[in-house]
Amino acid sequence: MTLKPSVFDPQGRTIVEALGSMGYGAVRDVRQGKYFELDVDAETPAAARTLVTEVADRLLANPVIESYRVEVDGEETSPPVEPGRRRVTRMVTLGD
Amino acid sequence: MKFAIVQFPGSNCDHDAYHAARHVLGQQAEFVWHKDTDLRGADAVVLPGGFSYGDYLRTGAIARFSPVMGRIREFADDGGPVIGICNGFQVLLEAGFLEGALLRNRRLKFLCRHVRVRVEETDTPFSCGAAAGQVLRLPIAHGEGSYHAAPETVDALEANRQVVFRYCDAEGAATDGANPNGSLRGIAGVCNRRRNVVGLMPHPERACESALGSEDGRVVLESVVAAMAAPGAA
Repeated sequence: MTLKPSVFDPQGRTIVEALGSMGYGAVRDVRQGKYFELDVDAETPAAARTLVTEVADRLLANPVIESYRVEVDGEETSPPVEPGRRRVTRMVTLGD
Repeated sequence: MKFAIVQFPGSNCDHDAYHAARHVLGQQAEFVWHKDTDLRGADAVVLPGGFSYGDYLRTGAIARFSPVMGRIREFADDGGPVIGICNGFQVLLEAGFLEGALLRNRRLKFLCRHVRVRVEETDTPFSCGAAAGQVLRLPIAHGEGSYHAAPETVDALEANRQVVFRYCDAEGAATDGANPNGSLRGIAGVCNRRRNVVGLMPHPERACESALGSEDGRVVLESVVAAMAAPGAA
């Protein structure tokens, strides 16, 4: 989760300026964000994604200023987990 | 009249608000724990400053789900006056009572000092006792006070006269130099469309006595006392 591109990110700005003073002028921009790992009871990756997206919209992200991206472990590749087993879901927020 | 002062875990200006209401203005005041849903017959609700839930996740993000917030929503929907100060403003924004969001201060520093704000609108219950354009000297104490909203939202707020307080210099000019935290258009406080819910970053409740360096904040709380005493008040 990061601040939207339209929102000024003073922390990212400070980091990019520090990198510039260290000689890393090639780094043109930095956006600082938050990273969440959710351990979710879900039968399928799609169900995990649906639940995490709802949670992100209701609590984890503020849509006025932040945007996010959801990654689900095993999505597209692995079979559904057995009932009672958990699936780890990562929520990374990035610019939209 | 009676003030309800909401206490979240981490509120720390609750006693300042209580003192201002009870001892300075001589009104009734009662604390309401955030898990309560009874506002005890209050005429106005104060969401005080502080660090509810340690500012975890985002300022105000978790407090907005406290049980008392549902009751305050009903109270506001009935036209009851609600003011959010500092962290209380952050809670009102997260809960959607008011539009916009508060970001880290532009220079990333926690700011604890007196600033000046200009009263832009005097038809809210928390500014009706002030003169339009009146300059108030009030303390701020926040790390996340940079007001932000989408440009079309800010345009609508301006068009609907919902910007109630704006940072300014001693002469009342809203210059960038007088804007302590990088708030869009120097916005220090806004109201809802109905004008009964007001939020602001500066602390009027901490500026009600000369011993505290300023009495300019009194007009904010005295406004609601006058509004409640006026004929036809809710």
